[in-house]
Amino acid sequence: MTNMKNIGYLFLAGTIALSLSSCVSLDEEPSSSLVAENFYTKEADAISAVNAVYETLHYDAGQSLYNGLIQIGVEMATDDYEAGPRARNSHVRAISNLTHDVSNNRMEELWLESYKAINRANIAIDKISAISPNNISADVQKRLVNEAKFLRALHYFNLIRWFKYIPLVLHETTTLSTESLNIKQATEDEVYEQIISDLKDAEQLPAPDGYSSSDVGRATAGSAKALLSKVYLTRQQWQLAADKAKEVIDTGWYDLFDDFADAFNPATKNGKEHIFSVQYQGYSNYVGNYLAVRSATNEVPGISGENADAYHQESDLYGSFEPTDVRRDISFVTDIVSPVDGKNYHLRVPLLNKYHDENANSNPKESSVNFPYFRYSEILLIYAEALNELNGPTAEAYNAVDKVRSRAGSSKLADVAPALSQDNFRDSVFQERRKEFIYEHQRWFDLSRRGAEYYVKMLKAAGKTQAQPKHIHFPVPQREIDLNPNLKQNPDWE
Amino acid sequence: MTEVKRNKQILRYLLIAVSLIVGSITTLAQSLKGKVVDSRTQEPIIGAHVSIKGDKNTTAGTTTDIDGKFNINVKHYPTALVVSYTGYNNEEIDVYEVTNDEIEISLNENFNAIENVVVIGYGKQKKADLTGAVSAVSIDNIKNVSTSSFNSALSGTIPGLQVTPTSGQPGGGVSIRVRGGSSVQGGNEPLYVIDGFPIYSDNTSAGATSGSATNPLASINPGDIASITVLKDASATAIYGSRGANGVVIVTTKKGTFNQKTKVSYEGTVGWQSLRKKYDVINAHDFAILRNEVLAVTYPNLGEYQYKSQAEIDALGNGTDWQDEAFRNAFQTNHQLSISGGSDKISYALSGGYYNQDGIIINTDYERLSGRANIFAKVSKSIDVGVNVSLSRSKANVAPSSVVSSIILMPSTATIYEADGSYTLRNPFEMEFSNPIASLKEQTNKNIKSNILATAFSEWEIIKNLKLKVQFGVNSENTKENSYVPSYIYEGSASDGIAKLGFINRYSWLNENTLTYNFGIKDNHFDVLLGFTQQQDHVEIAKTGSSNFVTDKLKSSSLESGSITLTPSSSESENSLISYLGRINYNFKEKYFISASLRTDGSSRFGKDNKWGVFPSVGGSWAVSKEEFFAPVAKTISNLKLRASYGVTGNQEIGNYQSLATLASSSYFFGQKVTCFSPTRISNSKLGWESTAQFDLGIDSDFLNGRLQISADYYYKKTHDLLLSVEIPWTSGFSSSLQNFGSVSNQGFEFAVTSHNFTRKFKWDTSFNISLNRNKVLSLGNGATSYTSGNYIVEVGKPLGTFYGSVTDGILQADEIETKGTYTGLAELVAGDQLYKDINDDGTYTTSGDRTDIGNAQPDFIFGLNNNFEYKGFDLNIQITGQVGNKLFNQNAQYLALYTGQQNAAAEAVNRYTTSNPSTTLPRAKLDPAPIFSDRFVEDGSFVRVKNLTLGYNFNKKIARSIGLSALRLYVSATNLITLTKYSGFDPEVTSGDNTVSQGTDYGIYPVARSYNFGILLNF
Repeated sequence: MTNMKNIGYLFLAGTIALSLSSCVSLDEEPSSSLVAENFYTKEADAISAVNAVYETLHYDAGQSLYNGLIQIGVEMATDDYEAGPRARNSHVRAISNLTHDVSNNRMEELWLESYKAINRANIAIDKISAISPNNISADVQKRLVNEAKFLRALHYFNLIRWFKYIPLVLHETTTLSTESLNIKQATEDEVYEQIISDLKDAEQLPAPDGYSSSDVGRATAGSAKALLSKVYLTRQQWQLAADKAKEVIDTGWYDLFDDFADAFNPATKNGKEHIFSVQYQGYSNYVGNYLAVRSATNEVPGISGENADAYHQESDLYGSFEPTDVRRDISFVTDIVSPVDGKNYHLRVPLLNKYHDENANSNPKESSVNFPYFRYSEILLIYAEALNELNGPTAEAYNAVDKVRSRAGSSKLADVAPALSQDNFRDSVFQERRKEFIYEHQRWFDLSRRGAEYYVKMLKAAGKTQAQPKHIHFPVPQREIDLNPNLKQNPDWE
Repeated sequence: MTEVKRNKQILRYLLIAVSLIVGSITTLAQSLKGKVVDSRTQEPIIGAHVSIKGDKNTTAGTTTDIDGKFNINVKHYPTALVVSYTGYNNEEIDVYEVTNDEIEISLNENFNAIENVVVIGYGKQKKADLTGAVSAVSIDNIKNVSTSSFNSALSGTIPGLQVTPTSGQPGGGVSIRVRGGSSVQGGNEPLYVIDGFPIYSDNTSAGATSGSATNPLASINPGDIASITVLKDASATAIYGSRGANGVVIVTTKKGTFNQKTKVSYEGTVGWQSLRKKYDVINAHDFAILRNEVLAVTYPNLGEYQYKSQAEIDALGNGTDWQDEAFRNAFQTNHQLSISGGSDKISYALSGGYYNQDGIIINTDYERLSGRANIFAKVSKSIDVGVNVSLSRSKANVAPSSVVSSIILMPSTATIYEADGSYTLRNPFEMEFSNPIASLKEQTNKNIKSNILATAFSEWEIIKNLKLKVQFGVNSENTKENSYVPSYIYEGSASDGIAKLGFINRYSWLNENTLTYNFGIKDNHFDVLLGFTQQQDHVEIAKTGSSNFVTDKLKSSSLESGSITLTPSSSESENSLISYLGRINYNFKEKYFISASLRTDGSSRFGKDNKWGVFPSVGGSWAVSKEEFFAPVAKTISNLKLRASYGVTGNQEIGNYQSLATLASSSYFFGQKVTCFSPTRISNSKLGWESTAQFDLGIDSDFLNGRLQISADYYYKKTHDLLLSVEIPWTSGFSSSLQNFGSVSNQGFEFAVTSHNFTRKFKWDTSFNISLNRNKVLSLGNGATSYTSGNYIVEVGKPLGTFYGSVTDGILQADEIETKGTYTGLAELVAGDQLYKDINDDGTYTTSGDRTDIGNAQPDFIFGLNNNFEYKGFDLNIQITGQVGNKLFNQNAQYLALYTGQQNAAAEAVNRYTTSNPSTTLPRAKLDPAPIFSDRFVEDGSFVRVKNLTLGYNFNKKIARSIGLSALRLYVSATNLITLTKYSGFDPEVTSGDNTVSQGTDYGIYPVARSYNFGILLNF
């Protein structure tokens, strides 16, 4: 009996002990993920934080900025593109038809994805600047902050051109208070001032040869200068644009590839013509260039394209190439040999083909072709355009355009149209940009920066009858206005 | 539960009897023999208690054995025997003299269910003493439903419980709502407590396989279940604190009985299942015409016969019926062997089960092998110990995701095989999806789960009625996922075969310590509970794989043979809950009852400023029928009780680490992959649980001694501090932030009637229940009044699950292009396009601007009607369930209504708009594959169905005995036999996952089957 009693006391003691000194802790210490509070203390942390800003150019999966979204949300609204036979989303088809409204979800995503990227850049800038000098080398610290600034400028430059009325957020959002969430729109000038200031800081980045091979693809001083020249061009600060373009040319860091095809060749990626590219690598557990599959056919046996982005035939861009111009057949494809049955299939309409990778023939989404955010040919065309605006079509302006045309196998403008007026030369440069950069997310920006009248004229000429002046900007997403009482809609879209 | 109580009684009496016998060995006692039988069936009653009346200092007694026989010592005559048995009226028999004859005593069934004991949180209570809304599920009613998991058989059994399958895949999941869903982002499934072990059903996949998730509760063999109780109001659930808000389902498994001969029983069924209804789709001939028409409109310069010539069209017949190819009559079988019994010190129940169900879609199945041992022992007079152990292993071949939609959307002109015998890889047209038959036949997509759920307790009666119980429990679940997609089917063709393996290791332990004391002071009775519990869950998930194989032979068993390694992933997470709980049940003269409980929970899941929550409840009831003034009507109304309760419960189902700004890892490429880390959210240290305050008013009444029982409840539940992903401006870098914001209410009525219509030779029982729940969003915080979530809107004043879409307005006719053209939302206006209403009145229709509330997925009411008939050896059970007023979005039909010629179309497409047939209901064929969500595809989801029909025959005991059995029963049953519904999809019992906001979408969901079974039950 005493034995039983002892068992009983043991019980009681055990229970009391358990309830007093609970062996369970309520503090959460995730073992498989890091927590922001304890991060950003070392150089390696800082590098991974900046890498995360680059990653916003394209996420792994789905439609993110330079992996489909700009194509879908922006380029569809131009004269050269339309929603393909397999574009199943009514929002996308609305953009293509210019019947989109203030709640178009692709435009919402452009806004969201850009601010996501900006928040990551802000985090990198804030946190890396605060790392103790004992834990990071001063050079690396400065470089990383400037890389983040370059990317922040890149995204703000997109946003201001798309939406015009945008809040300027320059620090990480750390609290959920209304003050920190409900930010007012900045003026266009304020935003551009910030873009220019960030890019000026970013000009201190290393030269293209200043990076080791394991850092190739990061923003360089050249990237910053080139983007700065484009910002000035967009702002019609012609002298500054010309000067900055000239500065890039004079660095000697860049040149055109002899073969236009090399600009889209995985073997020559990050080459002498590439000033800044979004990096892709297929078949490697990494991300392939999604644009390659979006525009690829699925009607040829063995090729599983998505056929969702299509060339808008009524613009007749395809027919405007000179027969000797190699760019047409690199940008488009009209005949495909099936990898399955070996037969040649003639396509009903030319398909966009710039990001096609021979090594990913049957599985186009594994394309390793980088997205060329900025190529040297654009610097030449910016230079030509800016010079023309300053002094009319000078020989130097002709020369810059003709470098681009000759490399493509096209005739020289100086030969075929030697005495253009300033207006006609401007149109020629724009047409050159169109041919050179089709599918490189330039067309919408080029159309909109020449103003509403030009945009509407060009779109109507291409059969997009719904085009209106308000379409040179996107509406501020209605959701943002609903959530943030400090935001106002673009008056054109009210 | 009744059994358990009975066992305890038996035990107590037995112990006393034994000690008495030992103590008075010298007393001469004469033994009296007898037999107890059921007055109606004349079958023996096993375990009835027999005692001698008026024997004050002893309650000497015995229990009847397996033949209903007893043997009792009688000291002097005349004497009176009292016989009692749960569920029967007590019977008194006077015996005047010594007799050697066996006396027969027959007992009448007692319909007074209020004396039954029900399982509640951390204890048991007499039904009469309840202050809360607690419903016990009749196991007899669910055991006939053919199912792999008990929770899918619960529909229609009790009021206030809505059960909807999320997949008809064998072993597939169900979504359960107790009194409506209240959480927008948190979980809405009830807490399951299996033999004292709380489990929140989580079906996370490692991601190696695809398709619908397996029901985690399928690991429990339904044949082992002894009782299921559903706790509904706060008085009942508050004792589960932060996990009680969605209701609690308490399951206990079968236990053995002390002092009982070994009982062996076997039950087996075989059966088959089939699809209720196919989609009516266009045949090959008509599809070819449709596609020609589309191509001619799109590329007019290429002519009218771009797809097939007229001669080819004429030669086409019906083509391939993809549904016939994919669906089948599927076999199923279930076997269960149970052994139970007990000595005076030990009781045991052991069982083994085997369940095998083929799916109605080819190459899908679910197989489970399970075993259970429930053993209890009395180690001393004051100490009891016990263990409940269940082991199971299941294997499921799951239909890969999207095959169901592919089966519907594959055009009938396509063939399964190419001319050379190889598989047709995919839909031959622009819409890209793979050949579903090839996917089903050739993909390996299976998961194997091993599950151990074990609890062990020890209970010490310190002094009389003061008991300390310490319980430990472990739930361990290991899942392995195997996937292989071979190179010769479409999904694997680009990668030359893809193999993946996934592993989930889930481990949860529990320690529960409770002290109970019940005592009486005069007419006051107290029942006190104090407890301390802690539970910790730990989950590890890993996934790996490779692709590009030389051969398809190795499948997922040799990952190193694939030349490309897929990015592996792994994760580990843990959450803990520490709780203190207390409850007092008080009653005065068993007339006035008060129950008060309090639980405080500390949960690791919440923000550091808000870890602890307090959950109180109070309930009272008044047994009006026990008042003297009630006496005049007491003959008619044998029981009348009024209940009221109020309390607060919580919900912590938000996943782990949601308050922290955890970093996500990803990669970028600088000549090689580099790692990126970025925050996934803005941290919120204030994040807390979601609390639900619930008020309940109930009435329980019994008429004619329980022949008719009626109970009704009204409840109002308000859930506030919703765990809500509050939309925040995107300029913050994030879309939303999990915060405690907003509130949702549910209020409703529940009504249940049980009637014993006939109780003699012909027995007929009826039970009926009906529930109405009205759900409403009260606020969304931050001044927001609504937000859209896909095809749904969450809006203040409206219920969750509200469809938000366009409203169709006829078809654009040739003479209306000028006047109505802008209502097509299209840039190019052509007669035959669908017209939509201009909701925002701006002169044009846009898909995002012109949406409105087009119906709700929540039903107006749900009901269950159960009838049991018994006559001679026959019994018949008919269970009818229904749901009225809910809408379903038939997304399958939406895709079939896109007349693009890129994929299959509904049969009605032949009546589409053409210049010669200017239809006013069906649009023209054209190449615009963007589906627009409109009222056209929101259908009435109401249904009434014969959930189960079982006809059984119980052989006469004599016949049974002649072949060495104590009982023999044969039966046939049919599940989902008849369904009345207007819904045009496969089956109206369907919902899209368990999210309350986006419930009621039917797209590519594995349909629920109709099934027939033959069964045999043998007791040895």
